[in-house]
Amino acid sequence: MKNSPLPKNTEMSEHKSTIFNRLPARNKIASAASIFVALLFFNACTDTLDLKPAQDLTNANALSSDESVKQVLIGAYDQLSADGLFGGNLMRNSELYAGEGEIVFVGTFVSPREIFNRQILVTNFDVEEFWEDAFNCINICNNVLSGLAVVNEADREQVEGEAKCLRGWMYFELARFFGQQYEPGQANNQLAVPIVLSPTIVVDESSTPSRNTVEECYTQAINDLTEAENLLPESNDVYADKMIAAAVLARIYLQKGDYENARDAADRVIASGNYSLIAAYKDEFNQEENTNEDIFAIQISEQDGENSMNEFFATASNGGRRDILIEEAHIALYPTGDAREALFYTNQGDYISGKWKNQYANIPIIRLGEMYLLRAESNQRLGTAVGAAPLDDYNMIRSRAGLDAAASVTLDDILYERRLELAHEGFKYHDVKRLHGVVGTMPYNDDKMIYPVPQREIEVNKNLVQNPGY
Amino acid sequence: MRKILLLAVSLLIYASSVAQNRLLSGTVTDKVANEPLVGVTVVLKGSQTAAITDGEGKFTLGVPKTGGTLIFSYVGYETQFIDFADQATVNVSLDNTQQILKEVVVVGYGTQIKTQVTGSISAIQGEEIARVPVTSVEQALQGKAAGVFIEANNGKVGSAIKVRVRGSSSISASNEPLYVVDGIPINTTAVNDEVNLSINPLNDIDFNNIESVSILKDASASAIYGSRGANGVVLITTKRGKEGKSKVTIDYQQGWSKPTRLREFMNTEQYVGFFEEAAVNGGKYDFANGISGYDTEQEAIDDYLEDVHDQFDQNSGWADWRTNEVSTDWQSLAFQKATSRDVNASVSGGTEKLQYFISGGYSQQDGILINNSMNRGSIQINLDSKVSDKFDLGVSMQMSRSLNNDVPNDNYFESPMQIVAQSPLTPPRDTAGVLYDYPVNVYFNPLLEAEYTQSNNYTFRTIGNIYANFHILPTLTLRGEAGGDFTNLTSDRYSGSRSNYGQSVGGYGEAYSARVENYDTKLLLTYRNSFNEVHNFEITGGIEYEPYSQFYQKVDGQGFPNDDLKTLASAAQIVYGTSYLTQYRFMSYFGRANYNIKEKYLFSITGRIDGSSRFGKDKRYGFFPSASAGWILSEEDFLNGIPVISFLKIRASAGVIGNAEIGDFDYIGKYSAASYNGTSALYPATIENPDLHWERTAQIDFGIDFGFFGDRLNGELDYYIKNTSDLLLDVPIPATTGLLLQTQNNGKMKNNGVELVVNADILVSDFKWTASVNFGANKNEVVALAPGQDLIDNGGSDVLNVVKVGEPLGVFYGAEYAGVDPENGDALWYVNDSEGSTATTNDFNLANFVVLGDPNPDFIAGLTNSFSYKGITLDVSTQSVYGNQINLNGDHWMEANGAVYDNQTTHILEAWQNPGDITDVPQGRLGFDNGDQVRSSRYIDDGSYLRVKSITLGYDFSSRLIKKAKLTNLRVYVSAYNMFTVTNYRGWDPEVSSDYVGPDDVNVIAGNDFYSAPQPKTIVFGVTIGL
Repeated sequence: MKNSPLPKNTEMSEHKSTIFNRLPARNKIASAASIFVALLFFNACTDTLDLKPAQDLTNANALSSDESVKQVLIGAYDQLSADGLFGGNLMRNSELYAGEGEIVFVGTFVSPREIFNRQILVTNFDVEEFWEDAFNCINICNNVLSGLAVVNEADREQVEGEAKCLRGWMYFELARFFGQQYEPGQANNQLAVPIVLSPTIVVDESSTPSRNTVEECYTQAINDLTEAENLLPESNDVYADKMIAAAVLARIYLQKGDYENARDAADRVIASGNYSLIAAYKDEFNQEENTNEDIFAIQISEQDGENSMNEFFATASNGGRRDILIEEAHIALYPTGDAREALFYTNQGDYISGKWKNQYANIPIIRLGEMYLLRAESNQRLGTAVGAAPLDDYNMIRSRAGLDAAASVTLDDILYERRLELAHEGFKYHDVKRLHGVVGTMPYNDDKMIYPVPQREIEVNKNLVQNPGY
Repeated sequence: MRKILLLAVSLLIYASSVAQNRLLSGTVTDKVANEPLVGVTVVLKGSQTAAITDGEGKFTLGVPKTGGTLIFSYVGYETQFIDFADQATVNVSLDNTQQILKEVVVVGYGTQIKTQVTGSISAIQGEEIARVPVTSVEQALQGKAAGVFIEANNGKVGSAIKVRVRGSSSISASNEPLYVVDGIPINTTAVNDEVNLSINPLNDIDFNNIESVSILKDASASAIYGSRGANGVVLITTKRGKEGKSKVTIDYQQGWSKPTRLREFMNTEQYVGFFEEAAVNGGKYDFANGISGYDTEQEAIDDYLEDVHDQFDQNSGWADWRTNEVSTDWQSLAFQKATSRDVNASVSGGTEKLQYFISGGYSQQDGILINNSMNRGSIQINLDSKVSDKFDLGVSMQMSRSLNNDVPNDNYFESPMQIVAQSPLTPPRDTAGVLYDYPVNVYFNPLLEAEYTQSNNYTFRTIGNIYANFHILPTLTLRGEAGGDFTNLTSDRYSGSRSNYGQSVGGYGEAYSARVENYDTKLLLTYRNSFNEVHNFEITGGIEYEPYSQFYQKVDGQGFPNDDLKTLASAAQIVYGTSYLTQYRFMSYFGRANYNIKEKYLFSITGRIDGSSRFGKDKRYGFFPSASAGWILSEEDFLNGIPVISFLKIRASAGVIGNAEIGDFDYIGKYSAASYNGTSALYPATIENPDLHWERTAQIDFGIDFGFFGDRLNGELDYYIKNTSDLLLDVPIPATTGLLLQTQNNGKMKNNGVELVVNADILVSDFKWTASVNFGANKNEVVALAPGQDLIDNGGSDVLNVVKVGEPLGVFYGAEYAGVDPENGDALWYVNDSEGSTATTNDFNLANFVVLGDPNPDFIAGLTNSFSYKGITLDVSTQSVYGNQINLNGDHWMEANGAVYDNQTTHILEAWQNPGDITDVPQGRLGFDNGDQVRSSRYIDDGSYLRVKSITLGYDFSSRLIKKAKLTNLRVYVSAYNMFTVTNYRGWDPEVSSDYVGPDDVNVIAGNDFYSAPQPKTIVFGVTIGL
């Protein structure tokens, strides 16, 4: 109140006391009561309009110390576990988008149904949520990167590596949902998403960026992850480490058809020896702790985190909505005796995925099985045997599923195996796109096979251009 | 009657200073009733000589021979001046029909004679709202005040109510008025854990104890509340004791309720027929568009039919759908037999030194929905004590305990009304009598929720205030007040082993408690004086300090051995825990000066400086002034010759009021806490805005108060314009910043409107008929948003309401439905391109969004007719809302043309079937969206209605009978509420605004009907006994 043009308390108090001094004695009660009320009032009238929030830190404090910057970094992982990202909807929507004929969406939510029917409206909630969550994660990473100076020198590289790992990964995910498939050997000037590399402090002109191309987004992602792989330690509890960065790089290279780099990155992960396949396929899923096979998994517990894959795939008694049923056409793909088929269960005559039946289980995002298949596919395509011969990697996966080892292998065999091994884990849509497949009769590069830019973003940022067909 | 009730008193006072030469006598009667008036004061002007009329209305007075003037005065009657010369008797009849205009009304920090008020205030007497069978006072006010729009979300008992005084003035800050009970600004923000929905904090107030409600509407009346007055102020004053014999009043009433309206859904035969048709169409559509890649059309049809039959088999449980063995009317199962009870007893009276009003009440109300009920017990104690001529003090205290058994909000599968989505094929229970569940049911069965959950919300609330007046001089009073509003709420919820939430975790229990402390202390100094009976002043200055804090804590556990063990002591695992604190403070300085000349020319100015913790250091204080003036024309000589006009006043006011009802710390750039993997985390939550400051509403008001024919016809007419600028606006920012919103002072909003109140005593003989009508028309317009911003659309694919420049707040915005293509049954939309073409499209994405409707009414009106004859009274109140639209977004499921297996309304049976069919219902296609897209005008309907809100027939037993029974009053009555509704609305009930929208969006997301329960229709019988 010091700066206010208001009368000071003391002056008013003095004024009042002179009145009371003049009171006749019989009004003692009156004066006592009045003074009491006055005291109640004036006691409160101190400089008390300065309140601080009890649950939040101010911006100035949040990036001021080693400890707080690291807490903001944990905030980036928390955001990574959001519904719209690896909390599950990112993978669920990949399965729905290209799920025609193998799964069916029977739930009530409008947005997933639009995605499943490939009739996505520009107002689709899931599309908007994905965009928002991903850029939120990117902004947190940018905040962390801007606060590196106060991080203990010993940890600085690791913190930088983790932030870049997550940021690059987000650009990769955004580019492959909002932009048409990356086609190797040509200019990939089709639009993806804006690239923002600095934290938001104020809202100004820089807050309305234009969309960058698919090429630029892939380049950004690869740069971030390559740096991250260099900066990160060999292992880092459940957080980003060297192997996670390499595994994401392997995915990016595979998606863009750069099989040599994909192969080498996958090989670095496998060769690290940090991971091993879980003996029984079913034991890789619904686990509340990371398994030896998990390279990266979102951490869920009864107290923290929500498993959105479980919510949509599981039955009510397993904590889900039973919104996604597996069609018999998919079940028929599995050869007799396949442990992966045995994982499905039925409910009221419908097949349900058994990978998602514990709402408090971690969500595996990258696991070793994928790396074997990735290396096998790349080696097969290149005619090489870096790390192992494609047949060996292929048989490794088959034998874990309880199937006999094959004597020879083709590219189609490996892709078929990939389809079974990684079913309902979020690979479907991206594989259709990179393998130039069709969904129903819709070709992979149809206008409707990528998300629209959310209407909300178009409205608040005039520099954004909508995708054709929307 | 007064003759019987009052002891006859006659007094003669002779003053020595005046020479008395003779006696003069006379009789005073009531002008209308023509009965003697007892206790009228008769004074000889210019002397100390006075008399009081006796039991027959007679008086005798010593008067000078030369003649003079007698002054007759009586409470509630117009004072008369009678000149006399040498006559022996003077008979006078006094008129009380002007009583209405002589009334004192409660205004901010004081009272004022109604005729001298220069602002716009709606005053409602407690009698008009007592005993209405609703849970909170503002619901009882519905239709009683011009320009005050009151709307329940739905028919759930005890849930939030929306009140708009003269329209919405803000987009992102609150639009609810400030409520002040006996001088204490009370908390009206829900404090419960909104797992289900907001519980209305006004439920805690027993409104049977209310003496009057004043709603301050214009700037002159509300600017004294400064930053908190922009949405109007509701001043609630409870009853106080009066000097005299103790009065005991006991009320008891009992009621029964059922839904106002129902909808018609398909029975089994209709459902099977329609979905088989939809399956065939779905198969054809799939094949024609190559969606699943069938080889032949027949293959596709067969596959779809097989699916639909599988679904029927699954949904029909033990029953055989092929023989229509079961056809369940699920809608009827959402409702229960609802009864209500209300008892209130009060005693009031007092001596010259001490007056008291003490009341106790208990009210219990079942909701019409299963598992929904509320009860409240309360005590009110009001004491006023005169310690000496210079000093008096008193206390107002109300304490209550409420129990609210709430049900899930409209958006949950387990919400009772969502039961209508169930297939009629499904029997509720299996052959053993156990309730079925999904997937035998199409969705989770809400009956399970009613059977397996409990949600108890106990609120203990105290609103109390002590005051002391110190009359320093006859003209100067110092008043101190200290009080508070304290809420303590605890909730225990248990979702059992078959509830929607509890079934996967073996039962889920929640324990929650909240504490709200809201203090208020103030000092007021009032100077009142009159010079030469010409210049009349009243000047008030005050300071007020209000600190508020809200704290809550919550613990959840899961895994219960048995559904009988519901407390967390039995939980296997504690899975959630939190506590939270927020607070704000207001420091205010205010003043008001009323000045009038000869009670004819009226002037008033007010000003308030408010400081709030919700703004940054440099923007913390705001100044809110107002000025007003009135001219009582009927006091002027030039109108004296027109006997028709008994009262005429014109008035005008202007002022600026504020709004600070935003988040407590919105100006600060903040990082919030989170956690991942059991490790604490931080994330950026808001972007700093140190310039954030008060939202300001400038309002001008012109009014006329009139009375004709001795005030038998009287009323008020107002015109106002409210311009709000520097809106506290949550401005959407590009998500590429990592954040979605920033609270900024941006944008402008305008409201203007007309209000009219007319009261008429149409018949005044034995058969009395009075009528009162109020009317309010308000036009709202969003004038500007942030620079470069034309639209705020946060609705996504679910909600149509947007904020659009040039349109009223919350208009529906989406694709314009163009009906059905007669050729192929496709749903069509108008393209609405910028060239204004009338072309249509069946591709929803190609339809440009346009404004489709407005959830704000063009006008609202209320009409009350009261008839009485001897002891019989009949009161009929109607309420109407006109010109608003409602979006039935639940119909996106209930009228989805077979896109999903939800049961459909029978309207869908009119779906397109053959080329050439003209219908507004597109072809049913199993699994495909054909016209069921939410963001279209297909589900928008006119929400206008006229409702007979209440009919009360009462009988007051004659005084003779009562006297024999040693009573002072005995009344029996029967009332019917919401008995008739005239509307074209096709949903359940046009009084609706679904409760699933969060409190942040409630300003914009209005007029949605999403499985919202209809209002209750209630009949009550009651008796009032006076001892």
